[in-house]
Amino acid sequence: MGRYDFRPMRVRQTAKALFDAKRNPSLPQWYDIVGDIPPSETLARPVQRAPRPKGKKPSRMFQPLPIRYPEDKLRSEFFGDHPWELARPRLVVEDSGNDAKGYDWSKIEQPGKQLDGESVVQRQMWLMKHQHLSKPAAYDIARREFYQHRHLEDIRRRVAKEEALHVGAYFGKGPLQIGMELEDQTWESWKRWAARQIEDEQSMRAQMFSGPQTDGEDMSGEEFDAAMSELQPAVPQSKEGQPALGGAAAHP
Amino acid sequence: MPLCIYDPVWFPDHGSVAGWDGASHIERKPAGIIPFVPWALAPACLAARSVPRPAPTFRERLSSSSIEEYTTAMIIRHLVARNGPRAAARMSVQCPRRFLSAAVDSIEASADNSLKQLQSLEAQLNSQSAQPIPSANPETHVTSPSALSNSVAEQYYIYKQQQKQIGKLGSDITPHYQPHTLLNNPPSPADVTLELLLASEAHQGHATSLWNPANARYIHGIRQGIHIISLEVTAAHLRRAAKVVQEVSRRGGMVLFVGTRDGQDRAVVRAAQLAKGYHLFERWIPGSITNGQQILGRCRTKVVNEKDEEIPGFEEQLYERPVLKPDLVVCLNPLENYVLLHECALNNIPTIGVIDTNADPTWVTYPIPANDDSLRCIQVIAGVLGRAGEAGQKQRLAAAERGEITYRPAKNLHMPEEQEAAEKTPLEVQQQIAKNLEEDESLEDADEMGEKLDEAKNRERSGRSIKKID
Repeated sequence: MGRYDFRPMRVRQTAKALFDAKRNPSLPQWYDIVGDIPPSETLARPVQRAPRPKGKKPSRMFQPLPIRYPEDKLRSEFFGDHPWELARPRLVVEDSGNDAKGYDWSKIEQPGKQLDGESVVQRQMWLMKHQHLSKPAAYDIARREFYQHRHLEDIRRRVAKEEALHVGAYFGKGPLQIGMELEDQTWESWKRWAARQIEDEQSMRAQMFSGPQTDGEDMSGEEFDAAMSELQPAVPQSKEGQPALGGAAAHP
Repeated sequence: MPLCIYDPVWFPDHGSVAGWDGASHIERKPAGIIPFVPWALAPACLAARSVPRPAPTFRERLSSSSIEEYTTAMIIRHLVARNGPRAAARMSVQCPRRFLSAAVDSIEASADNSLKQLQSLEAQLNSQSAQPIPSANPETHVTSPSALSNSVAEQYYIYKQQQKQIGKLGSDITPHYQPHTLLNNPPSPADVTLELLLASEAHQGHATSLWNPANARYIHGIRQGIHIISLEVTAAHLRRAAKVVQEVSRRGGMVLFVGTRDGQDRAVVRAAQLAKGYHLFERWIPGSITNGQQILGRCRTKVVNEKDEEIPGFEEQLYERPVLKPDLVVCLNPLENYVLLHECALNNIPTIGVIDTNADPTWVTYPIPANDDSLRCIQVIAGVLGRAGEAGQKQRLAAAERGEITYRPAKNLHMPEEQEAAEKTPLEVQQQIAKNLEEDESLEDADEMGEKLDEAKNRERSGRSIKKID
């Protein structure tokens, strides 16, 4: 552990040593091949990546550096303004690796690419580079085009739905509707359960007290007054004060 | 005769083998692989299923007809029942409305009349002309289809006509990524481009905190908290590894492809098939090399000649031989197969491995810095190495056709009929032969220049040694 094992890299030397020491009767078949096509050097320090940055150890000069592109700032700006664009599903599989070579950002729509935030960023870049617009101006133009195309998409979708409904299609419940129904079902079943619990508790209480049961609401006005007058001396914050007899339930 | 031993247990083209002892960690045949359904078939199936409008049901028709028609329909149903279900199916499909008319009987009678006339005409024509005219089917009133268009040229003409009419209908699909093509038609080492590697996500490493600093040379930079592997380095190392696989295959070496992660099995099997090597997509049983006599000792081996044809009769001689070891191991996920790589190191077997940024490059002889978590990348790498092995095998077989043997034949094997003679030859003669052989080899090695060159090749390549030379 913690030590390097160089045996895999030294298979050829080892084979030669074993053969010279007559441990092996013959050299392996791959002996010449590994000699002709030697393994690459490993554990060698990479070239210096950066001049010594301030406040960094010299050993960090050989570490990989972050990769930055000019689009990064534009991208963060756009997605900061439109955070829900990140919630849209996006196709990230590359076809040939040369997909971006066929794009022409003099228009915002590209064949074979869906319209998304990346389109706005690339369009803005193009405008800044080829029409020498300032960053906010290019952003405004690209953004407006983007909104326009999103609007057209909405219209297209609505018309398609209308046409489909006209020729007899029907769309089932949406995910929100299904969710609401499930929630309602759960709520109703909870209500049933809670009512049952209350009922059970009340019957338990009824069994515990065998005497006649009267609720506070059933008390008539006179009875209430009588009860209050009975309790009067014991009510706190009166002039007589409260005798230290333990509290009584004053409130019905 | 130069001979080579194959272990059929590790050999993908070999099915059930007698004496198979159930060492299940090395599959003999990709039997568990799902037979592949071409993607191109799927849209066709969908198209066939989507009939525009279902034919009106019987009930539908009844509601729009009167009682009288209902009785007619009853009668016709009886008639259909008598004629047999097959005729019913055909008729109901072809012309369901016909049964609803009250004039069915008269039509049938007229049709019978016309059929009789047709038959009489046929008889007349047949009696006059030499070439017989195909007779009409009395049930469907149609001549048989084979007779209608039996000439290939006619069919071809119809096909062309249809192509002309409907050939350009529909949308044309631009070329796009189809996942199965990497398995069906893997790229060869010459097809490796940086674009291909980029599209297969070979550049994506792990989070920067997980890195192994030994991989610093292969890393291009940091992007969004992960290390990006330099694709130029990947391509260079991949080509180098492909060259090694090709050369080893050309020398008749035994190449073992190992990929034990989920989803790597098909790529591994395909590569082994192409390179005529061996594959492992389940667990590596520890000790299969270091303790092979116990684990693989009862696996059957076979003897083949230079053209890969099996030669029977060596069973007794093979029984005593040590277990075979691979000459080259290609490991697609070294992190999970440390035991295998360690065994290879102990037994001095060169290895090729896909090294992600969190793996240790000193575990393998030939690292290929790439993303080992992307199946597409693994398929590309396995396909390239498999294609290289295929090229090497082709070279070897071509040389065998010319009568050249590219590999050193297995020792201590005698042809079954010669063996008895060999047993009879005195010990001295055998010793003499062995001595001659040794002398030959020592003569080869005595070449001084060759030795020096050899030593230079044995020197380890490192930055320090290069500096010294400067």
